[in-house]
Parts: sequence; structure tokens; C-alpha cells
Amino acid sequence: MSDRRRINGPSGGTSAPIYSKYLAKDAKKSPERPTRTREPNVLRKMFLKTGVTPSASGSAYLELEASKNPNSTAPGLASLSTSGLKLTCTVHGPRPLPKSAPFSPHIILTTHVKYAPFATRKRRGYLRDSTERDLGVHLETALRGVIIGDRWPKSGVEVIITILEGEEDQWWGDDIGGAVTSAAEWGMMSVLSGCITVASAAIADAGIDCVDVVAGGVAAAVKGTGTGGDTSAPMVVLDPVPSEHKDIIAACIVGYLPGRDEITDLWVKGEIGKDNLTRNSVPGSSYEELADNAVQAALGAHRVLIAALKETTEVKMGRL
Amino acid sequence: MSRHKIVKNLDLDDELDDFDGGEDYGYDEEEGEEKMRQGTIKVREALPPTAAHVTDKQVQEALWHYYYDVEKSVKYLVAASVPTTPKVLKKGAAGKKPEGGFISFGVCWSFGQSACNKASTLAGALYPDTCLKPFSFAEFFKDTPWLQVPTDRQTVFIDPIYPRLGLLGGSSDGVPKMSKLQALAAARKKKAQEQRANSNPTGEMSRAGLDKIDHSDLGDAGVGGMAPSGSALLQKPSARGFPLRKRKGLDEHESLPKAPVAIDDAGLNPPASPEDIPSAGQAEPSDFANTMFGSHSQTPRQSPDNLFTMPFAADIASIAANPFAGPSPDDIVIAAQSKAGKGGKGAPKSNGEKKAAQIAAGVEAMRIDDTPRAKSKHLDVLAEFGKAEAKNAANFVVIGHVDAGKSTLMGRLLYDLNVVDKRTIDRYRKEAEKMGKSSFALAWVLDQGSEERARGVTIDIATNTFETDKTSFTILDAPGHRDFIPNMIAGASQADFAVLVIDANTGSFESGLKGQTKEHALLVRSMGVQRIIIVVNKLDTVGWAEDRFTEISTQVSAFLIAAGFLSKNITFIPCSGLHGDNITRRSTEPAASWYQGPTLVEELDNSEPAGRALSKPLRLTIGDIFRGGVQNPLSISSRIESGSLQVGDALLVQPSSQKCFVKALEIDNEPVDWAVAGQNVTLHLSGIEEQYLKIGDVLCTPSNPIQNVKQFTAKVLAFEFLTPSQIDIHRGRLHTPGRIVEIVAVLDKHTGAVVGKKKPRVVKPGLIARIVVELEAPVPLEAPGRVVLRGNGETVAAGLLE
Repeated sequence: MSDRRRINGPSGGTSAPIYSKYLAKDAKKSPERPTRTREPNVLRKMFLKTGVTPSASGSAYLELEASKNPNSTAPGLASLSTSGLKLTCTVHGPRPLPKSAPFSPHIILTTHVKYAPFATRKRRGYLRDSTERDLGVHLETALRGVIIGDRWPKSGVEVIITILEGEEDQWWGDDIGGAVTSAAEWGMMSVLSGCITVASAAIADAGIDCVDVVAGGVAAAVKGTGTGGDTSAPMVVLDPVPSEHKDIIAACIVGYLPGRDEITDLWVKGEIGKDNLTRNSVPGSSYEELADNAVQAALGAHRVLIAALKETTEVKMGRL
Repeated sequence: MSRHKIVKNLDLDDELDDFDGGEDYGYDEEEGEEKMRQGTIKVREALPPTAAHVTDKQVQEALWHYYYDVEKSVKYLVAASVPTTPKVLKKGAAGKKPEGGFISFGVCWSFGQSACNKASTLAGALYPDTCLKPFSFAEFFKDTPWLQVPTDRQTVFIDPIYPRLGLLGGSSDGVPKMSKLQALAAARKKKAQEQRANSNPTGEMSRAGLDKIDHSDLGDAGVGGMAPSGSALLQKPSARGFPLRKRKGLDEHESLPKAPVAIDDAGLNPPASPEDIPSAGQAEPSDFANTMFGSHSQTPRQSPDNLFTMPFAADIASIAANPFAGPSPDDIVIAAQSKAGKGGKGAPKSNGEKKAAQIAAGVEAMRIDDTPRAKSKHLDVLAEFGKAEAKNAANFVVIGHVDAGKSTLMGRLLYDLNVVDKRTIDRYRKEAEKMGKSSFALAWVLDQGSEERARGVTIDIATNTFETDKTSFTILDAPGHRDFIPNMIAGASQADFAVLVIDANTGSFESGLKGQTKEHALLVRSMGVQRIIIVVNKLDTVGWAEDRFTEISTQVSAFLIAAGFLSKNITFIPCSGLHGDNITRRSTEPAASWYQGPTLVEELDNSEPAGRALSKPLRLTIGDIFRGGVQNPLSISSRIESGSLQVGDALLVQPSSQKCFVKALEIDNEPVDWAVAGQNVTLHLSGIEEQYLKIGDVLCTPSNPIQNVKQFTAKVLAFEFLTPSQIDIHRGRLHTPGRIVEIVAVLDKHTGAVVGKKKPRVVKPGLIARIVVELEAPVPLEAPGRVVLRGNGETVAAGLLE
């Protein structure tokens, strides 16, 4: 389906060009891939706040800081900066279903995930593409089990997430260099995990009854990164930033309910072969290890989520 | 068993047996004391030496318990005193029931007392001496900033004093008496607690224990500042954040390395209290987020010093103590207004009163119209009419070709008879000159409509009345233009005789004879008009030429006789409408001296009154419907065709078949009690709504109503070729579309016998035929009625109903 309503730019979209002299002239000055400065088990700091959109029943805003490269000497062009993650979520409902809709004994959850056209380096279209629809389905899966739907028969709730700034799938330098890398959309994983967390906050803000607040977490098996460790052996990192890793072997995202110790959504991408086992893993259990780590990441996100909701409650109670 | 049955079966005596309250102890005090003294002595004697240390009090107590049974008391005292004396003491103290009751009450009372004291001291501290003088809120809130009451001025809430839990008058040891169920529950709880306490050290799987571990683990991981490398984590394999998760290979996984979550820079912090943990992972909002959430939340509103105090609060002393004591400013204004405007008419009506008055007025206006059914005087109208000896009344219609000068002639007639005064004519003259039509001024007496005046032609029938010495006349000024023939028919149907106006101008006469002069003459003849006066008008323009007059007379009389008029009923008068010659006065023109006949008015007077169909049933075709004023919302005007009516009569309207009543009658704007055929009356009706009345409808007596017909047979004189086709049927004001369905036969003009073949296809002009006409809607028509058939804007036939 093509977008007939707008006059769109070229579908590929472009950033400002970077001329080769910048890249090639001085090896020192050539832009370098950002490196992961965090420990493998450390998450990025998260900013989460509810009540962004006053007109919605519930809303939340989530932000993951951009990874900085403190000792980079590369030219400070805006187009070279790496982005973090910025999501805003609005929840509309519970509200009555339209009259035309058939009877439903429980609430009908609709999720809608959309990248803003400017969210990623590669421009996105105005209509939802398959990636975005995929994210929507995953988000719905993650949330459906959390909401106590029986309390709202004949009603619907819409969760709408706009990705203002999305995680890159790979470092932009790889695009330029034409280096063949794994073309998988690794950025999606972080985005989905953020989506789950921010949707959870917005649903809580809307006052919809849930069994628990669900938090998203990502873990990835990456090959050889910077700090100290030997570069060959793959290792598991929490909350990976795809631009920081040259080679991501596999990634896993979970929607996790800490209170009930349940997973509502699990998605693994990539393949862990025999030779890609991490150092300290037991053969055959790598995927489980990945999932466990993702759960750990979700626990971290959960803590921030709880703190944000506490803050919301305090503000609300204070006002009342 | 239902509860009320339990209550029903309750044996009160049985229940009260258990009660060991005051009644049992109501013995005589003196008697008891005596008994006790004697009993004590007896016991002392009976006590063995081992129990000699027993006090009198103990003895008395024992006695009291055993109802002064000495033997039992001794036995008890011996048994009690031997092992441990204190036990006896204790038991004795506890056993004294009446005392216990008193004591417990005392406790209660003292608690209450102390509480009251406490309360009063509290109150005293809070309100040191405010109770002595009345509290002034104005003073209290003076210089308090708006919406920012400082904390020291906010009120202090004190918890109310509740009585202790439990029942009043409980047991002696101060603990409230528990019911059996309560006791049971408490016992279970205690038991459970004990059990838990015992099992705690060993029960590793219990939830509580694991929760603790969980928390400490999270705390360690998040804030502990341990260098979390993989190898280090290997040493604490049991550190799990999700204790309840069921997994298949528990043992295997326990050995897995854990990468517990740590949040970026939290690792550097020293261990903090658990409350700090959640905030560890939170980032500061980015610049972008700050634009969304703003910075106002970070800087709370503060510094009440900057806020304004209420301006009037500064001058608080000047404000009256009770601002609502006197009348409000509004009250003062209203009072003044009512005094000034209404002149002591009392207080102005409030909104509600006004509304009520309005509604009452509305209801009054709405009231069903019950008064107007005027009582009939049951007059014998015909006898009255005979007694009245009124002047003759005559209607005449003025017909002629367009621009023959009909209206001008009538205007001149009215002007000369002083029906219209000179001022009015002068005004018309001025206005007509303004429009460039000065010659039309006289015509405007009858042509009242603005369109009629602007176009210079008469459109609708205009009526006016004038009186001569003998007769009162009603002029029906018919339009001459061919487009308004239906209106002319309506006028002609009411006329007793006709005045045909002919333009003497060269050419005009000839065109008129071909045009409406001829058509009108035929029409009035077919409408039953017998007598006709021909006014040869505008003879001044041809210099009063006698030749011209004679020529016209010859031609017209020949035509009229052919049309069926008798020659004795035809009169010719040479006139000048514009100048007024030979209308009311003889012409002074020397050129006109050849004419010595009567003037127009004289000739009108000569006309015999037409016979009135007084004894026939009432028929009245509505000429106009209007609102005759506030009293008479529905009025009609028309000429009574036949019969008579009087006030109070019930009438039937056809074709709607609705009944109505004559509320009042007017003739020439004079209220009358009755009216007869031939008179132009105004009827004020009641008991009917306007929607049932239409111009052209017929009013008749309910006893002898006119029938609505859908089809009729008529004997008609054809003016044009007549074939079965669509036509309009005119009968006075009434006109309705219809169709000639059949031509039955052509008839002989004089004998009325059938001529030629039956059912001819066409009727030639000038022949008489019998035709069947079907109407689209039923209309009131009856036998001797005269109808005119028109098609395509021309009169095709006229005739009589059969």
C-alpha cells in the first residue's frame, strides 16, 4: 500500500553527506565506533515520566540516554551523533466500543506502534510498515496478559506509541563503509523493550486494573567488545546498544512481571551456534541464559517504572 | 434453623441461670456479718495448728465461698495453706467477684476522668483565653495571603477520645472480656505464631525467609558496589532475583553465572537504605524531555512573602460586623424603583409571579371559543325582509375590452356621486402624474393594488357601492385583460346586469369586438345576465361624432342579439369617462348635443331589480376569507346567491363538509341580524378552522345541502370547437380542472331536441351540445347552476348544469 495522500520525499531518506576526506585523511580523526563503556550487566539510565499528554486517559514518556563517546576526536557533526531512545505512549480508554462492534465480554486491546519519520537515520514512512506492525503485535502480546480484561466488558483501550527517536540497527559508519554486517534489525529489540515499559506506565497512569506492571528487558550475545575482555569470545550484555557492537549474535527481549515471576512476551532473534557460546555457559542452554539475562534487565527497568509510578501517585495524591 | 426460631426457642430462665451478677449478693448485710463472725470463730477452732497462720481475712473469704459451710472451709484452708501460702492469697483476691466488678468500674471511671482532664488541659493550651471573648475571624485571617495560609494558622486536629475496646464492666484484671469465638481465634493465632517461631530457623522454603534474602540480594546487586564480573558472580550462585520461578533443571541453573542488574553509576555509591534503590536507575530528563515537562515541577511555588495580601483585609476594622444585616444594594435599588415607578402599587412582581401571570394570560387566550355561538333570534327572515322596505339593491358588472376605460368610467361615476371626495382624487392625480400616467388617476379609485396601478390594468374584481335615490348599487369592476378572465367570470356570476364599455376610438373598437368585448358579452350572457347597458366611451376623442356612435351601435347590437340578448334589454349611451360627460350629468359639449337620451346613472336607475331567490335553500359562494378583527378570527365575504340566513344559523361548508356557525353578520359594515339573497354580506364564522374554508367553497344549510359531485352533465353553448379534452370548469369564484369525457348529443338551439347523430366527436362553435364532464376533485355543484368551460386560456363553452 502506497501513501497517496502526501508528497513524500525519496523513500530512502538521507542524512547530510559526509565527505570522504573527513573519513580517510587522518586515521586518528576518522570517526570511530562508539564503545560500550558500561559493564555488561549495567543498564543505561532511564527517564520515565507519566502524564505527558493531558488529553489522553493515560500517557508516559520514556527516554534512554544516548551513548556518549567521551574520548572521541571525530568531528562533532550532528549527523554523526548516535541517538538514544525516546518513546511517548498514550492510552485512550477504557471507552465503549462503537455500536457496530460485536459484543465482547472483556476489554479489547489495540496497540499501535509508529516510528516518527525522523526517528531513525533512515527515514521512515508515514504509514506503518511491517516492522512497526510487528512491534505492535508483540506489544499487544506483552500487555494482554497483564490487563484484567474481564472488568471492562464491551469496551476497548488503545495503546498508541510514537517512537520519537529510535535505536539504530547498526553504527552509521558501517553504512558508509559498506561493510557487510548482520542486517538484522537489532534496534527493534531495544525499542520493543522500551515500548513495553512505557506502555505499562501509561496503562497504570490511565488507571486500568492490571495484575502487575510489566517491564521489558533486552539481553544480547555479542562478539568481542572493547573493555579489557578478549575480543573473540562472545559474551552476554544487558541492554545492548546496536551501534556499539560490531557483531551481535543474538538478542532476546522479554516482557516480565516481577510480582508473579511470569513472562508475557519473549522474542529471540539471531542464532547461537556451537562456536558462539559464551565463556561461562553450559552447552545447550545459551538461549535460556539469554532469557535469564533479559529478565534481569527487565527487573532493572521495573525498578525505574515503580519509582516513576510512585512519583505519579504522590503527585496525584498531593493534588487531591 | 432460622435465626428468629432460635430467639423464639430461647429459654430465658435457662440463660439467666448462668448469670452470676448482683442479685445473688443482695443479702442482708447485718445478717451476713453476724454469720461471718460466728463462722470465723468456728473455723479458727476447727483449724489444725499447721494452719494457724491463716489470717482472718482468708478465713472469711473461704467462708464466703462455701456459704458459711465450716467444714468445707476448713478443708480448703488446710489444703491451701500447707503448700504455699501466696497461692491462697492470690486465689482469694481473684475470687472476690463483687469487689472485682467494682474495681473494674473504677478503672473505667478513672480512665474516663483522666482522659477528660487531658482533653481539658489540651483545650486550655490551645485556646488560652479565646473562649472568654467572641472569636473574630476577621482578626484571625488578617493579612493572611490569599490561598496561602501559613502552617501556624492552620487548624490542629485532635483525635477524639474513644472508649477502650471491649465491653463495659469487664473482668477484674483490666483485659476486656472476650467472647468465646474471639478467644478461640486468639488461641489459634497464638498457636500459629508459636509454630512459626519454632520452624523459622529450619524452614528454608518459607516465603518470608526467601523474601528477606531476595531483598538483600537486590540491594547488594544494585547498590552494593561489588565489581560484578562473571567470575565473582560464580561464587554466589544462589543470588536470584526471582525466587518463585519454577524451572526444570534447577540444579543445573543454579550453577549458571548471574549478571545481576546494576545501574550505571549506582555502583560507586555506598550502600544506601532500601528506599533509595528505586531512584538509582532514573536518569535526569534530557533537554528534549525538559521542554515537554517544563521546569515548573522542579521549582515548586513558594515564598508567600511575595504574594499580595488582600487589599481590603488591611482595612478590616471598618467593615461592619454583620454585612448582611441591612438591605443589600440591589434591594435598595429595587425598593426605590418600585416606589418611584409603580406609585405604591406594592412590591414589584418577582420573576415567578410574572411567569405565573403570563401563563394565566396564555390560558385565558387559549380558552376554547365558546361565547360566539350567538343565539339565533329565530326571525322569520322573509317577513322581516318584506317589512324592511329597503331600497332596491343591484349588482352590476362592468365589462369590456382591455383599456376600454372601465375603471376610469367607474371612478368618474363614484367621483361625481361624491362617494370619493375630491382630495382623494387629487392625490391620485398627483401620484399618477408622478408615474407618468395622469389619465389613470380616476381608475385608481377602484384599482387599489400596487401592481394594478403600476401596470395600469385591473387584475381582480374591484367592488364599490354607491346609492342613487331609488337603488343601492354594487359595482363589480371586472378586468378586461384576457389573462384575468377567471376573475371576470367570478364577478359576472354575482351580477344582475352588465355594463359593457366600448372604446369609440378608431381601431380600438374593432380590435375590441374581436377580443374581450365579444368574449365578455358572451360570458355574461351565459352567466344568466339578461340586461346590458353599452357605454360607448371616449367619444370625446372622436369629436362626439354621431356617425361613429351609430356605427358602433349597429354592429354591437347585431352581435348581442345574435348572442341571445333581447333588443329591449340593450341600451346605448355615448360617454366620456375621463371628462364625465353623460355619466351623472348631461354633456355640455356642443358637439354632443345630438344625444338627448338618459345619462348612465339614470339608465342604471331604470333597471328593474332582479328577482331574488328568497325561498330557495341557502347557497353562498365564498368570495374572500379574511381575519375580521380580534373578535372575529375568521370571516368571509360573499354574495348570497339564494335563500336567507340569520345570526346563529348553523351552516355547512362544501366540499369539506364541515359545520360552522354564523357568529355575526354585516352588510356594508353595518351589523345586521339577517341577510337575504342578492345582498353582499360579511359573515363572521365560529366553530370552524380556516383550513376547511377556501375561496370558491359553498356554504349551505345543513338541512338541504349542496352535493359534491365528481361528474355532471351540462347543456353548453360552444364558443370554440369542442372535443373531449382537458378543461377548466368555472362557476363563480370556484374553478377546478376537469375533462370532457363525452359529448352526448348536439341540440337544437330553440327546441332543445337532439340534432344529428348521437355521440358526435366534435361540436362546432355556436352549437349547443349536451356533454358529460368529469372533475378531478368533487366540488359542490347543483342543477340550475351556470358553468363556464375554458381551455388553453380561452372560453370554449358555457352552459347550464342538468
